[in-house]
Amino acid sequence: MFVFLQQIINGLAQGGIYSLIAIGWTTVFGIVGVINWTHGEVYMLGAYVGYFVTTFLHLPLIPALLVSMLAGMVIAVLVDEVGYRPLRKRGVLAATGFITALGLSTILRYSASAAFTVNPRAYPELIEQELLTLFKVGDSAITISSLHLIILIGTFVIMVALELFMKRTLTGKAMLAASQDMQTLGLMGVNAELLIKITFAISGALGAAAGFFIGLLYAIDPIMGALAGLKGWSGAILVGIAESLTAGFISTGYKDAIGFAIMIFILLIKPSGLMGYKFEEKV
Amino acid sequence: MKKLRINSGEWLFGLSGRVTFLISAILIFFVCFVDKFHGGKAWIPSYTQHILVTCLLSALLALGLNFISGYLGQTSLGHAAFYGIGAYTTAVLLTYTGLNFWLSIFVGMLMSMLLAIPLAAASLRVKGQFLVVITYAFCEIFRYIAINVPVLGGTGGMAGLKAPEVFGVRITKLAATNKGGYMILLFLLVSAAAFFSWRVQRSRVGYAFAAIREDEIAAEAMGINVKYYKTLAMVISAAICSIAGSIQAAFATMVSPELFSSTKSIQIFSMVVIGGRMSIKGMILGGSLMTILPEVFHSVKDMAGLSFDPWNILYGLLLVVMMRVRPQGIWGRKEKDEG
Repeated sequence: MFVFLQQIINGLAQGGIYSLIAIGWTTVFGIVGVINWTHGEVYMLGAYVGYFVTTFLHLPLIPALLVSMLAGMVIAVLVDEVGYRPLRKRGVLAATGFITALGLSTILRYSASAAFTVNPRAYPELIEQELLTLFKVGDSAITISSLHLIILIGTFVIMVALELFMKRTLTGKAMLAASQDMQTLGLMGVNAELLIKITFAISGALGAAAGFFIGLLYAIDPIMGALAGLKGWSGAILVGIAESLTAGFISTGYKDAIGFAIMIFILLIKPSGLMGYKFEEKV
Repeated sequence: MKKLRINSGEWLFGLSGRVTFLISAILIFFVCFVDKFHGGKAWIPSYTQHILVTCLLSALLALGLNFISGYLGQTSLGHAAFYGIGAYTTAVLLTYTGLNFWLSIFVGMLMSMLLAIPLAAASLRVKGQFLVVITYAFCEIFRYIAINVPVLGGTGGMAGLKAPEVFGVRITKLAATNKGGYMILLFLLVSAAAFFSWRVQRSRVGYAFAAIREDEIAAEAMGINVKYYKTLAMVISAAICSIAGSIQAAFATMVSPELFSSTKSIQIFSMVVIGGRMSIKGMILGGSLMTILPEVFHSVKDMAGLSFDPWNILYGLLLVVMMRVRPQGIWGRKEKDEG
């Protein structure tokens, strides 16, 4: 029982990071209607920006996070400008957007491997890592690593900020409306192009933040974006916890396989995600 | 009336299918046997023959995926799964039971067809971008199974598979080099698959596929059994990809979890996209291009002394530019009547 609880707590940070990726991914999907395959690459580049500013500029944790989020915004907006906008203007985004996304993500991934080499890199130690005891029962204690705690807090703050932005500001409300019906929104006088750029900026910032958090936990490499993006697709926290449980009880090797199995299952029974908005299928 | 697109003029230079087959057969036999009849240095290096075999394998895979991504218009990023299942079935049967290679192809096909049914069921429930994610995950699951099951050899895979025999003669001894036999075998298979696709295209089944691709609801309303035809397409395409996998296993004399990699799936998909969906010669062209270009750029890398492979970056660029300039692929038909 204690091992079980401990594994769930270990999985929480990972799950939080996955859900950051997932939110970034689904905002773009909901509003623009394209599976933004480059999101994993934004996540990877965010992690690299974080690595460079912490290693060479010696920035502390929070400024480094903000810099990498800013970089993520710029990259995501550029991706939209170069890749999706021309297709959107011709009205063929639905049919060709996905393949363009695949191509762009390949370009980004392998340019990054060419520029940064494929060797994994690790962040310098930004905060002291120690095990904090959450509570004790008898001899056994449930602990959480300070790193995980920081990540959880960071994820939480970002999510609350996003929620406030969506619910309280006019732009956020316009975004929610756009996920319902972009065309009608355009007729109401909303600048659709600007809205889409904002969407990409938010998605990029979230992806880069996730990359930065992963960099705090594990070594980063240019290929890391390939899998990470997809796993965040649905039931992000669930997948993180399930992976941690699998690693703890079954075998580390099957960790990702279980994650994918859960993903397929969720997509089949509830394609909008466990707690997601309902999106119309845009083929 | 909305006209359904059925490609005519499938073969090169307006020749009939039979003539194209004969000409390419003569070419293949020339390549296979030319070095047997003259002494001295080989005219066609083993490396070129290797690339030719890989081209044919890719063409077979593309023809397989064409049933889903071409005729039905669905995107699948999971067809490496069937490729890998075919290869692993052959490898396991050859290593542990010593079954005949040719029989193992059929067992592999059967396995793939069975495993294609759940995927087909998924494609009935969701489509478009959700199906992309599901097929991708489907393939990844098999990769992790291949890595983690000890019987399947783990990360290293299984090596040392015996070459198959044709009437008591090793396939590697059939032609001038050890690759010639595979070339002939694959050539026959690609021709058969192309002929099969061509026949399906203009049959009742092909018209049903076209109707479902253009408008699923209308097709259903006309009395087309959408469930049946979608499953059928998935099963056929799984079977063809599985044959390619079995032969790849024998040709490489080994299998590894890399067969299931998402890179492979994406590669197969881009063959279909670049060659031109629904066009049979497009599949063969796409498969060949996606095999030859990486090799070309690989040698560029060696010559220029680059520390990275420029192909992968250019490959992404190719996809982006292709979608911008010619979204229907090189030999695909322009989709005129879609709003």
